[in-house]
Amino acid sequence: MKILICVKQVPEITDVTINPETGTLMREGVDSILNPFCEYAVEMGLDLKRRYSDIQTVAISMGPPQARTALMRCLEMGIDRAILLADMKFAGADTWATAFTLAETIRAMENDFDLIFVGKQAIDGDTAQVGPELSEILNIPQIMYAVGVDLIDTNKKVWVKREIEAGYEIVEIKLPGLISLSKGPMIRSVSSFQEILDARKKELRVVRASELPIDENELGLKGSLTQVIKIFPPQVKKTGIRIDGSEPQGAAKKLIEFLKERKFV
Amino acid sequence: MHEITSEAVPSVDFKGIRCINNYSEICQDYSPYLCDESKLAHQGAQYLFFPTNEDELSAIFKEMRKKNVTVTLSGARTGLVGGAVPYGGAVVSLERFDEIRGLRYDNQSKEWRVRAQCGVTIRDLNNWAMKKDFPGLFESGSAETKAFLKKYKESDTTYFYPPDPTEMGAALGGTVSTNASGARTYKYGATRNWVRWIRVMVASGEVLEIPRGTYFATPAGEFTIINSAGNKTIVKIPKYAMPHTKNAAGIFSAPNMDLIDLFIGSEGIFGAITEIEVALQKWNNPISIVQFLPSDDTAIDFVIALRKEKSIRPEFIEFYSSHALDLLREKQKEDPKVVGMPSIPDYATSAVFFDLPFDPENKDNDYAKLEKIVSRCGSKLGMSWAGYEQRDLERFRNFRHVLPETVNTIIAERKKKIPELYKLGTDLAVPDHALEEIWGFYTSILERAELEWVAFGHIGNNHIHINIIPRSLKEMKEGLLIYREFAKKAVDLGGTISAEHGIGKIKKEFFSIMFSNKELKEMKAVKNALDPDYMLNPGNVLEIEGT
Repeated sequence: MKILICVKQVPEITDVTINPETGTLMREGVDSILNPFCEYAVEMGLDLKRRYSDIQTVAISMGPPQARTALMRCLEMGIDRAILLADMKFAGADTWATAFTLAETIRAMENDFDLIFVGKQAIDGDTAQVGPELSEILNIPQIMYAVGVDLIDTNKKVWVKREIEAGYEIVEIKLPGLISLSKGPMIRSVSSFQEILDARKKELRVVRASELPIDENELGLKGSLTQVIKIFPPQVKKTGIRIDGSEPQGAAKKLIEFLKERKFV
Repeated sequence: MHEITSEAVPSVDFKGIRCINNYSEICQDYSPYLCDESKLAHQGAQYLFFPTNEDELSAIFKEMRKKNVTVTLSGARTGLVGGAVPYGGAVVSLERFDEIRGLRYDNQSKEWRVRAQCGVTIRDLNNWAMKKDFPGLFESGSAETKAFLKKYKESDTTYFYPPDPTEMGAALGGTVSTNASGARTYKYGATRNWVRWIRVMVASGEVLEIPRGTYFATPAGEFTIINSAGNKTIVKIPKYAMPHTKNAAGIFSAPNMDLIDLFIGSEGIFGAITEIEVALQKWNNPISIVQFLPSDDTAIDFVIALRKEKSIRPEFIEFYSSHALDLLREKQKEDPKVVGMPSIPDYATSAVFFDLPFDPENKDNDYAKLEKIVSRCGSKLGMSWAGYEQRDLERFRNFRHVLPETVNTIIAERKKKIPELYKLGTDLAVPDHALEEIWGFYTSILERAELEWVAFGHIGNNHIHINIIPRSLKEMKEGLLIYREFAKKAVDLGGTISAEHGIGKIKKEFFSIMFSNKELKEMKAVKNALDPDYMLNPGNVLEIEGT
């Protein structure tokens, strides 16, 4: 059985600020990480690999050359091999062009897949579109917002527990199919030093645009149906007053004084 | 040069300084200012001051001296020996001394140096140094500082401040006053090694500006301090020799010593260190490794072998004993998020945590020698946790820090029922050759006593913290006797009674194990010269009876 996991490298979001003048993300000095939801997808793939025999796992990412560090993290976690789609011609791709490029890569290079895992969304763009688009292009069933996955019927079907507004829903799909993950372990896994060293000996193939059977006009910015014009932070609202509550009596005193001043009490 | 002149600072109106002068109000509404991480019981305070600059601090010193009121200096109160816990008198919080004052490249020593006020935390100092963004410095700095700042930002190298007292919320002034050390002392030495210049306000309210390498003791072991009125004070330094381990016990003393070293580690009993210039070090990307081992004894073997292998250069070597891992397992069951790591593997009976230089892009990283040592100690590199991303380095750090925090939480909980209870945390260090012997000594005694205990800490420097967690006053008494026995043994082996926490108010009782009466008198003589009224930090290091 072959499981593909499509992943994305994202900026460590807690550090990112937006330049108010240019409206662009200020990435200087910001660490790049494997998107947490993609990490859940990797965890799920590895969980199945540990529980069932003969499962091969492949991580695929599209991004600049430095995105290899996100794939390296996948390899350290236990993924068997990785593919990085890195070419200037892929630059500026929107969700459609990204999904299309991934789909064509899968068709050309990994067409014998059984399952595709993706994170439900990336924490930088938050679009949650690439996964569904990918399944549409590949014409395979999709289940979104999964929190639990298992193989049934001798690996011909998958059992999925997915989040819905009212709680959870249990569904089954026939393979091949695509599943997006929205939750993983509460605590991120840690690799052993041996796994980190071994990861550097695993295959991490870099694929150029010229290796894919895609017309240049369907790649990157040229192949994008949408374009981001501007990113800007929401208007900052006036902040409230915060009273330090470490000393309850003192805090209550301050609160009463505040309310008295404004004639609330 | 052994003569130094103190300078007077401009006088300000004492009444304009922010102060709480009501004993009950301080005890009720400002109680965090009356304790530190030692959880030592305080005796309240009549005044609580919040000066914003040296002028105000000087006015407070002068006024308190006039009123014959003692002054306890307070930084971030992260100390473990009650140094900031007042026994009455006034508490002076230096939290508003929180500015970065300068950045420069020293051509002679070829190093970058940052100048900061004492209230800046080690965490902020490191964040700013590593992200190359010192808040307010460009706006307030001189043209020269601005030029240095530009050069610093343009440099491809990342710099950091190596002293790492685990508690990164500690104030820089506090760490200098206690000569704090920590994990990275293994490679970089204690705080003292990184301090290049200080400003100290002495009890008279005047300030000494002391660059390293300028004022040295005479062959007779004396310094002369001349105040702004021209009066001379002779300071005679103690004659004892310091142990050949990392050490935070006793006033620093060495032949021909530098005056700056008299104040570093003196726990605020000679003056308030208000501003400090420290050196920065080039940052090499590390990988953090927690190597699990089959027993505490094999962990000791592993450390000894690791130190011997000179081609492996860890930044630090830390230890988690079997009991420590069990305590963390309990904590994981209670709240896995606090520990922030996956479940500790069942096979892990002991662990050693260390950082190594690591290039994630290098496919040919060679760790064969490490692998050999690990295997000789009954483990495998696969039986470890490792991480090199910044967020992983932070969570490994937290994993180290959460252990003493957990012990402190248990003690705080038990104190609710038995207020006199406190943690018995040893801070003993011995020379390299004595590591196995002291560990054997510790465990043979602890196994006999039915006490709750964990061991962790800076094993690279043979500085293992034994934390006895008493459940009753009876256990605390028993623990104290054991602690005393440990301290005697450490000193017998050529070590120290306090490697990093300092003496404060809690560890004075062990002083006599390490220092003779004559040596204690020599320390008091320095205090008598610099603070004859025993106004500053009463009860720290020296007994108050000396007044």
